[in-house]
Amino acid sequence: MVCKIQAKKACRQEREIMTEKIITRMDDNGIAYLKMNDIEEKNTFSDDFIAGIIKGLDKITAMKPNVLILSGLEDVFSGGAEKKNLIDLCNGKVHVKDLLISEKLINTPFPVIAAMEGHAVGGGLVIAACCDIVLAARESRYGAVFMLMGFTPGMGCTTLLSELVGPFIANEMMFTGKRFKGSELARKSTNINYILSKKEIINKAEDIAWQISENNIKSIYLLKNTLSAKKKKLLIEARQQEDLMHKISFAFPETREAVEEFYAGKENKKK
Amino acid sequence: MTREEVAAVIKKHILDNLEDLEENEINTAKSMKDFGANSLDIIEVVSCSMRELKIKIPRTELADIITIDQLTDKFMEHVT
Repeated sequence: MVCKIQAKKACRQEREIMTEKIITRMDDNGIAYLKMNDIEEKNTFSDDFIAGIIKGLDKITAMKPNVLILSGLEDVFSGGAEKKNLIDLCNGKVHVKDLLISEKLINTPFPVIAAMEGHAVGGGLVIAACCDIVLAARESRYGAVFMLMGFTPGMGCTTLLSELVGPFIANEMMFTGKRFKGSELARKSTNINYILSKKEIINKAEDIAWQISENNIKSIYLLKNTLSAKKKKLLIEARQQEDLMHKISFAFPETREAVEEFYAGKENKKK
Repeated sequence: MTREEVAAVIKKHILDNLEDLEENEINTAKSMKDFGANSLDIIEVVSCSMRELKIKIPRTELADIITIDQLTDKFMEHVT
């Protein structure tokens, strides 16, 4: 099977479009790739980065792939929200751009495989929960860190995370903000498809994508439409509650301090 | 609490959070990164140790710490 994949790969004509932070391409077997590649900012959701993901997903959708592999950097799949956007929310500015990623991923007409070699925290983990098949690395960490910054979870986390890791582990992740090591999650009964060593993730994702790509694209799209109906509903439910909780929790005076404190170490290290 | 006791707490959490590491391999004059820890592993070791020692230190104070010895010294400033 692996040889077959490699042989096919060798004669594939790949179209690659490189942007600064998002890399998209599709091969001749209908396997599309979107790599979040913001090395400097570790795939945090700045407005530009979000726009890049949305643009990349639109581009891929137009290519009509059978399946998409969504990946990140080797050390970080996604770092979640950007500090500036969180401070904007503390200042009462409405900021819903990161929600667009959840919505867009759930509404893709093709299945999406999240291949998480690196850490995924906050909204970064939620985008994996929006995907159809999820792979995580034993060496990396995964957590819903919202509450560590004083505000309640967003992006659909309150309903989608429990689908991925189970309701009680999701509760622990959300209430504590603990970043679970992949190897620890592997010992628990989560719904993550595969928890492997970092170097195995992309190969496994490609193997799954290959299997999907052999099926009839028309039936793949039909099935995706049916299977995503539940997630679409869950996202709508989450947003009703999460938007309200955000209005309240971002207005707490302690939240701004907690956000500043949370990013303090990171900013000192950059200097 | 003695320095040795604080160091033992940190070592315990390093061993809990880093796989394939033996206690005798830990050299406290080095950084956790030298033993394969990534940035979030280090955060977890520090948080777990602070919880056990019942201390809270702002992240700004921890940002410049490099070695395990320096971390132990910082914790010693806060333990009773």
